[in-house]
Amino acid sequence: MFPCGQNRREFVWEMGGGFAGLALTSLLAGDGFFARHASAGEVDRELNPLAARKPQFEPRAKSCIFLMMNGAPSQVDTFDFKPELKKHGGKQLPADKTFINSGGRKMGFLTPSWRPFRPGGESGLLVSDYFPKVREHADKLCVLNSCHTDSHAHGSALVAMNTGKTFIGRPSLGSWCVYGLGTENQSLPGYVTILDKRGGPIGGQPNWSSGFMPATYAGTLFRPAGNPILDLQGPKHITQSVQREQLDLLAKLNQTHLDARPGGRELAARINSYELAYRMQTEAPDAVDLTEETERTLKMYGVGKQPTDEYGRNCLIARRLVERGVRFIQLYSGGGHLEETWDAHESIEKNHGRHGAEVDQPIAALLTDLEQRGLLKDTLVVWGGEFGRMPFSEGKNAPGRNHNPYGFSMWLAGGGVKGGMNYGETDEFGFEAVADKVHLHDLHATILHILGLDHELLTYFHQGRKETLTDVGGRVIRDVLA
Amino acid sequence: MHNRTAHVLLLAATTIACCGSAFAASDAPPDFQTQIAPLLIRRCVECHQEREPSGNLLLTTRDGLLKGGDSGLAVDLKAATESLLLHRVRDGEMPPENQGKSQRLPATEIELLERWIAAGAKWPAKRRLDLFERTNDARAGRDWWSLQSIKRPAIPQISGRVQPANKIDAFVLARLAKQGMTPAPTADKRTRIRRLYYDLIGLPPTREQIARFEKDESPTAWEDAIDRLLASDHYGERWGRYWLDLVRYADTSGYERDQEKPFAWKYRDWVVNALNSDMPYNRFIVEQLAGDEVPERTEQSVIATGFLRLGTWNDEPNDPLDYQYDRLEDLVHTTSSAFLGMTVKCARCHSHKFDPITQEDYYRMGSAFWAGPVAPRGRELLGGPSQGELGFANVLGWSDVGRVPKPLHVLKSGEREHKLQQVIPASLSMLPSIEHVFDPPPPGAKTSHRRLQLARWIANEDNPLTARVLVNRIWQHHFGHGLVRSPNNFGFLADPPTHPKLLDWLAAEFVSGDWTIKRLHKLILTSKTWQQASVHPQFADYQKRDAGNHLLWRAERRRLDAEALRDSMLAVSQELDKTLGGPGFRPTISPEALEGLSKKSAAWKASPLYEQSRRSLYIFSKRGLLPPMMTTFDFCDTTQSSGKRSSTTAPTQALALMNNQFVHKRSKTLARTITESSNDAKAQVVKLWTQVYGREPTSAELRIAVQHVSVQARRFESATLEQIEGRENDDKQRIGKLGNALVLHLRADRGLTADGAGQVKTWMDQSGQNHHASQLAESRQPTLKKDAFGKGKAAVSFDGKGSFLHLAGKILREQECTIIAVVNDLKTSRHRAILSNWNGSAGNSTSSLFLGLTSKNTIRFSDAAANAGQIRDSNKPFVITAINGPGRSAVYQNGRQLFSRNSPLPTRNLSTNWVVGQQGNIGGEYWHGGIAELRVYASALTVAERMSVEQSVAARNGIALIALSDARDEMAASTRSSDELALASLAHVLLNSNEFLYVD
Repeated sequence: MFPCGQNRREFVWEMGGGFAGLALTSLLAGDGFFARHASAGEVDRELNPLAARKPQFEPRAKSCIFLMMNGAPSQVDTFDFKPELKKHGGKQLPADKTFINSGGRKMGFLTPSWRPFRPGGESGLLVSDYFPKVREHADKLCVLNSCHTDSHAHGSALVAMNTGKTFIGRPSLGSWCVYGLGTENQSLPGYVTILDKRGGPIGGQPNWSSGFMPATYAGTLFRPAGNPILDLQGPKHITQSVQREQLDLLAKLNQTHLDARPGGRELAARINSYELAYRMQTEAPDAVDLTEETERTLKMYGVGKQPTDEYGRNCLIARRLVERGVRFIQLYSGGGHLEETWDAHESIEKNHGRHGAEVDQPIAALLTDLEQRGLLKDTLVVWGGEFGRMPFSEGKNAPGRNHNPYGFSMWLAGGGVKGGMNYGETDEFGFEAVADKVHLHDLHATILHILGLDHELLTYFHQGRKETLTDVGGRVIRDVLA
Repeated sequence: MHNRTAHVLLLAATTIACCGSAFAASDAPPDFQTQIAPLLIRRCVECHQEREPSGNLLLTTRDGLLKGGDSGLAVDLKAATESLLLHRVRDGEMPPENQGKSQRLPATEIELLERWIAAGAKWPAKRRLDLFERTNDARAGRDWWSLQSIKRPAIPQISGRVQPANKIDAFVLARLAKQGMTPAPTADKRTRIRRLYYDLIGLPPTREQIARFEKDESPTAWEDAIDRLLASDHYGERWGRYWLDLVRYADTSGYERDQEKPFAWKYRDWVVNALNSDMPYNRFIVEQLAGDEVPERTEQSVIATGFLRLGTWNDEPNDPLDYQYDRLEDLVHTTSSAFLGMTVKCARCHSHKFDPITQEDYYRMGSAFWAGPVAPRGRELLGGPSQGELGFANVLGWSDVGRVPKPLHVLKSGEREHKLQQVIPASLSMLPSIEHVFDPPPPGAKTSHRRLQLARWIANEDNPLTARVLVNRIWQHHFGHGLVRSPNNFGFLADPPTHPKLLDWLAAEFVSGDWTIKRLHKLILTSKTWQQASVHPQFADYQKRDAGNHLLWRAERRRLDAEALRDSMLAVSQELDKTLGGPGFRPTISPEALEGLSKKSAAWKASPLYEQSRRSLYIFSKRGLLPPMMTTFDFCDTTQSSGKRSSTTAPTQALALMNNQFVHKRSKTLARTITESSNDAKAQVVKLWTQVYGREPTSAELRIAVQHVSVQARRFESATLEQIEGRENDDKQRIGKLGNALVLHLRADRGLTADGAGQVKTWMDQSGQNHHASQLAESRQPTLKKDAFGKGKAAVSFDGKGSFLHLAGKILREQECTIIAVVNDLKTSRHRAILSNWNGSAGNSTSSLFLGLTSKNTIRFSDAAANAGQIRDSNKPFVITAINGPGRSAVYQNGRQLFSRNSPLPTRNLSTNWVVGQQGNIGGEYWHGGIAELRVYASALTVAERMSVEQSVAARNGIALIALSDARDEMAASTRSSDELALASLAHVLLNSNEFLYVD
């Protein structure tokens, strides 16, 4: 009766009380007027926007961890093995291959991978030596070799990878997930973004924004130590007992206020929100408190040693957040600009060597840990950057590679995804996707699908239009589902 | 959404019965006009129409039907039942499936078609079907309610009771009466006046303002209150913000570089002023769309075109040629959403799915902007016209880059490479009575004059959308919901109006009242409907019947929006700076929140604290970093027109109010000012209640509040002891080392050699560095005054005409320094310096280091900080501190920060001689006033060091420091009395309470 398995109230809210009225007609068909207008419960969703909601169909995963390789790793040096590059090394890309030369950089020569590829696991999936530890999990990886996106510029491509469009102002993937599913743990944010200490992604906030949806659905920036979220602690002299005293008085004043205003549901909801906030103050720091982790675990993630400490900590926290029912977690590797990110214009070996070493062990540990704890089957892990890199260099003897939105690799693991497989292909040079192409809308549609959401039916009514994450595009890549 | 069809049918009022179930039993051939035409339009014509008919089959005319398409004859009149059309329909092949779902026609409809074709497919001569001719269950036609001209409805007569004086009430009462319902009683005066203040100016009334209204027994008391507030400049600040939401206002471009849009704030001020001066709405429209093209063009009218410049702008689009079409969409969308409540942008790739907007219409509207700077040009122009094209400097405006732009084509599926027909610039076609083709620009015009014609078409009083949409917006902000609850959408997917006649009556009133908005406000505010209470005696029953309050049986209780919340906190703590207009300020954003920026250090510099107590309207709006405090409370998205903000309830809001420094500062200010005025616990609570709530506490409230303060005070007492002890040790350690950095120390109670008349000849440096001050020329000697700053508080007095002192030696070798002086300023009409090493002939006319005041009484901390804030009460002695550190330069008066910059002063030339009381060797700019103490440190003092020194010099000179700086708040928390902290705790509770956060 109602679209996408929502109950009527949510439907009403989603429609902004607009078209909703029409749907009510058949329910309350008595009076023509009331039939046309939203009635009871119109405000429900505003009062508890993050309440857990049933998926639209049986989900394969409950949570998603998106490992965002900010700056764009090179596919031909990591997960897309191209022997032809060796053969054609030193030649130019054939002239019939057209592309936008991002930043107008020097046109160099086809260059094979800077590190060898080796088979991993029983599947023998090929992974380069930039990710030796991840390779040990080859049988869990579903590598999408035929990804392509809509922009060659970091700013727009990051926003596109996060929101589906190259322009800012749309809700991000995580926002759609918590909008559709709510969150299991009201004492933590449902959608968490952990940035690299070196800085945020280019473009900032719009990358985890909720766009035209309420701000509640935006990603919450989470710091991996101490007080992870904003305003979790007041001035030092406001101790817990001082604050409890305040909240008790607040509750009394609010109750008197409410008593004089019968039916004030928004008032009651706000009273409740203070108790939730109070709990958040202890639960959020708990989530990042690694003292209860064993020495072995810490070591496995590379916590406490360089260069893995930071990303190791973040990956471990991601596992702890998944355990606590957080719906969507995005971990950035690389922050700020250029070589501080995966943006290897200068040198693939230097850049990917550095960033690979930072994340390889932590990511492998995350996969091991999730599996050992039985969490991997309910958790989708996504790895990738905002685009890929060119198979050719940036000039003679220039060891870097320029941006490439035409073909790049991402991988999925866990969450009912087939492991040990490659999906889709780029051409012989790894330049552009040619077979089973995966547009970022397709990737998004697939991620939503794994979480039990239909990308066409998960709509948000905004200014006369049913908006979706994938707009008019997107297809679920069923071949990767186990 | 897929079940909408069935539901819409019940809407009935404007739709038509299209599907033939009611006729199914009949044997007579179906009627073309009432049965077949609607069916074909509903099911077939979207694809089988004139422009590129699908399969070359045209179903808008009988000829087309009989001619058939690529697959052959559609209808075979000789073997009717075997007609291809019927086969396709029966097989469910037509209409084709949509998003994987079959669109197969219901059996009744198939049967209708069968009988119609069997009877010869009768089709009246010359009858041409048009997708948009009539509204059906799937889309709106040109007969859609919001497109019909506005006819002033009769005022409903209320039977059995006196006809209400205010016409609005008649409409509302009549509608309620139909349901057997009655409105809530009028709210009490206190509630009404508070609601009115928030409604019109977005600020709470003070206790006195409430009392004034409560006591006013005159029959015009209510109207007077409305008039007073409508005349307030703060009215425009409140209502201007609503408009800024609609026009996606922000101060930066967004994207990677997120460049500032310089002078965007002038547009913001233009909106505020337009509302305050009650600019007629039709002019308001024209100036924003075509202020550069109007005959009476002024700088202000060009500033108004900033409307077209406010969108996001990407200096590095993936494909610059595609991007010009994206920019066009932004302009079309914002214009059509804000002024027309129509989503014209949906027709960029295809005709609108729900509203009578053709794809050509989209490009027609786009053509108005096509002559502007939408195509890729130099980055430095930030997507706008050059100064030459605009005709004004320092204005963020819009203008065409020529009078005849290159042709604009309709693009197939919106794709740039697939050009269809060239567009003839014109108005939208959905309003046939005023549809017209735009004239070419008049001779001599530099611009295309298309925007002016578009603007005039929108502002045409026969354009029914314009007035309906605007009065609905005004209504929405007064009541919480519009009469149409989707304010930016009056199309098919809109919420139908709850009170259609009232909407039209208001629109008619508005237009006939010369489009003045203030008149409309007053009309609404004087209605009983607006004045009713938010509770109702039959609340429980009515809530069941109409929980959404669509019938307006009570007032809607509303949470303060982000701006009103922040402004109210500043207002009740009496810190709100009500300065109007000008460039925005950047609030302090916690370092944690800045982590999201890719360029952390350079990206955000908070404004000096004294600017930060301005109204939230003036917050600099950076698209890459909106202040979390604002977004947490549902500040709108800045990338697209926003007609209505959400109003959510979330624990993160509670966290912000419980813990954010901003809120704690307000609590502390409240506590401090109240404890200064009274030390009686009960009196303090009463004062606090009055200031925050505008009322006195009840006896029960008083009791629990006093108890709270006493419990908290005991907690703080035991806690602070520990803290203070710890901190004192820290401070002693730090400050002990400070002496080494002191390079100049003059104090008026030491080391002076003066004659009997007090003429100062030498003033010995107490720092041990021997930078003694002296003046040998008697006529230029300042005077020692023993009681200059109060009894026994000496100062050296400078006459502002020629007295000054030379200092021995080079005071500073390195750039880093702190200057602290205790002075007063008796003013001159010129600049005046306390300490300076200016020497033009030695080459440091712009790079000298000095501290003084300008002729406008602002502080100069060298030319590099030539406007470092305004001194308050300058004739009274004050402590002035100027710091130049490696990462920061700042100036303080009495501990209050006046100026701060996250960078040092540019390198100063320190090689020249120093003087006190004059601008270097200029022979002028003399200090007029006393100097009781002057210290120079060769280091930038830390917060603790600075405060420690300031405290000691202030105490010696009888000066009270102001505790406003961040650091001092934090530091002073431990030393402040536990009673004050306890009162702050209570204040904090009040600022978190629902009584404060909601308006009844």
